[in-house]
Parts: sequence; C-alpha cells; structure tokens
Amino acid sequence: MSVVTCNGLTKEFGRKRALNNLSFQIEENKITGLIGRNGSGKTTLLKIIAGLIKETSGKIEVFSEKPFNNLTISANAIFIHDQMNLPAALNLKEILGAAANFYENWESNLAQRLFDYFSLNPSQHYQDLSNGMKSTFNTILGLSARCPLTIFDEPTTGMDAAVRNDFYRAVLKEYIAYPRSIIISSHHLNEIEDLLEDILLIKDGKEHLHLPAEEFKEWAIGIQGKKAIINEWTKNRDIIYTKNIGHDQSYVVVRSQFSNQEWQQARANGVEFSPVTASDLCIYLTSKTEGGIDDVFNQG
Amino acid sequence: MNLNLDGTKPIYLQISEWLEREILNGHFESDQKIYSQYQLAEIFNINPATAAKGLNILADENILYKKRGLGMFVASSAKEMILNKRKNETLKRLVQEIVLEAERLNVSRDELIEMIKAAKIGEVET
Repeated sequence: MSVVTCNGLTKEFGRKRALNNLSFQIEENKITGLIGRNGSGKTTLLKIIAGLIKETSGKIEVFSEKPFNNLTISANAIFIHDQMNLPAALNLKEILGAAANFYENWESNLAQRLFDYFSLNPSQHYQDLSNGMKSTFNTILGLSARCPLTIFDEPTTGMDAAVRNDFYRAVLKEYIAYPRSIIISSHHLNEIEDLLEDILLIKDGKEHLHLPAEEFKEWAIGIQGKKAIINEWTKNRDIIYTKNIGHDQSYVVVRSQFSNQEWQQARANGVEFSPVTASDLCIYLTSKTEGGIDDVFNQG
Repeated sequence: MNLNLDGTKPIYLQISEWLEREILNGHFESDQKIYSQYQLAEIFNINPATAAKGLNILADENILYKKRGLGMFVASSAKEMILNKRKNETLKRLVQEIVLEAERLNVSRDELIEMIKAAKIGEVET
C-alpha cells in the first residue's frame, strides 16, 4: 500500500515553479530519503505532504486523502523541520506534555529517556536553545509521536557528528520496534544512506530517480583511463560526469550497463572501473553541467 | 566486524559474506536459526530491507532455508556449498585478475606459475 501518491503535482509561488509535474509513490513502512540540491523543491514537497500548504495543480494523496487542512493527516503525520512553531510560553517539559495530547501513539517514556540522554533542561524555553539543541528536541518530538507518517526535513541541522549518529541509530531502533513510514530529507546522504530503503532524488521540482538505495549505488559506475580509449567506450552511453586527470587521462561516470564481454575488453585495454558512492552520484546527477564547478574555470 | 561503508561493495553482499564466514567459523551449525533481518539491521546499523537482501542471497543459493514464520536456518550442506562457491567464483575471479595483470606486465605464463609456487612456499615459511 502506498502512503503518499502524487501525480503531476505542481506548485507555483507567483511565477516561480517550485514543483513541476512531480509523480511518484511512497510505500508504507519504508524509510525514504528525499535528496536534492538547495532550492530543488524538497521542503515545498514535504509541506504539501504534511498538509501545510496547498498544491497548485495535480494530484496528491496521503493515506488516500487530500492532505491540505485535513485532520486525519494532522493526527497521523508529523512534520519535523527547522522552523518549528512551538509555543514560546511553555518550557520544554510542558511542550512534551502538550504534544502527548495531540498524538494518539505518543510515547512519553521514550520522550523522557531521549530528553535525559541528550541532557536537555526541562525548564528551558525552546527559543533559547542553540540550533543543534533545537534540532535535537525536534527529533525527540518526531520519534516519540510514533506517527504512521513521520517526516524529517533536514533534521540534523546544527547537530554535531556524535548527536547525528545517535539520532540515526534512534531512528533505526524505533523503526524496527514500531515500523512506520519515514521520509528524511538530508544533505548528508553519505550518513543516512544505509538507513534508507528507497532514495527519491528530485531536481528542479521534478522526480529524477526513485530507486531502492542499494540499486542506487550500482546504478552508475566510474571509469578511468586514457582519454582516447574512454571517449571510444563512452560514445553511445549516458554520460553523467566527466573529469580530466592529467593531460591524457579522464574519469567518466556512466550508467552501469556493460555486458561481461565489454567489461573484460575494457579492462584489457587498461580501463579501470570503480563504484560511485550514492552521495557522489547525487551530486553529479543534480549538477547543472557535466563538469561541475570546474566548468566555471575552464572558459577558453 | 565493521562494514566497509565507503560504497566499494554493496552492503547486502557484505552481509551475506559475513554470514558465510560465521557459518564457516562454526558459529552456526546445521539447522540452527540464523540472525533475523532485524537483528542484522541492529548489529550493522542498516535498513532491515538491506539485511533481508543479504539473507535472501543465501536462501536463493540454498545455503539457508526458510521456515514459514520462524525465520531462516542453516542448510545441512551449507559449509560445503560456501567453500565450493568461493572456489568456483571468488578464486576464479582472482585468478583472472592475476592473469590479466600479468599480461599487462608482459609476465609469461611460466614466470607467473613460478611466482604462485614461490608465494605458496613463502606462506609456509612465514
């Protein structure tokens, strides 16, 4: 069963098209990573899924309902992001108490244990926390709510590496114990990729790739060797990224669609193959040019 | 064991190879229940679906068998199958690599065979 279905989803802000004819489905009880560059429309998409803003056109269904201003969605989905609007008059402890009234599955024991583990101060107010502490508190809300749909938009902003690792482990443990649909958007794909079942990559408000995380890693391959040989090998292939090394070597990332024979022939010609990490692949796929930043410096 | 998370080898393959080593080392006997996908996910901090994929590779090769609702168990000839597989696939591939590299370096067949013999003797000596 799918939790989120969208078809031709489009969102415009004035003349700017943030989402452009986006279509995909997210299945139930999976951890999906939403990946994209700054300004690619990730947050807009998540806000629409959470029902905070309304789409301009196209179809969007969450739990088979239209999410905008929908009470079922509000009760069953939690949207964690770095602009959380939490009551300034309440201290952290009181916010946790209030949250328990909103979410049916709220697990106060978990909230308390995480709260203590991360050494948060119950009498402090949210607006006085550092960025990292705010993010930590947000994720406690997100995990303890145990909502069937849990959305984390850049949850680790400001967190140090140790807290980020703790958070990822906490997500995994909670997910194993209480499976639910989780969407995480993050710039740290290398840190979260092992946690993910699926990767949804968007570029310019459009779906670019939607694959199981494991397939994503095998989707492309890096080949390196003498420029002339590499050019020959990549002539009729989808080139994703190109970089020149030294004066006669080049490194090219292509779709991994080689027959066994081609593979052996290439290796006999001194072509070296290397896997492309998921996070590098995302950078290459979402880049505007094949050469990346180097193109800026390569004029003439 | 730590997984090699730099992307050079798919995680599910690392999981299935680790399980094979566990079986070869005698940590799991025939007909003993092996780790579940959730246990593996916890041990290695990975998505349970990835862990399941590692288990399924071994089930497809009949090294593990499924009991409905109970999990996966070690087949009685698991050790033999793993050893055979390593010989016929892993070793063969490594030999191919060696031959290819020897060709690139203009090392003759006889010279290569001598090198292999010497390597073996060296290993015994050390």
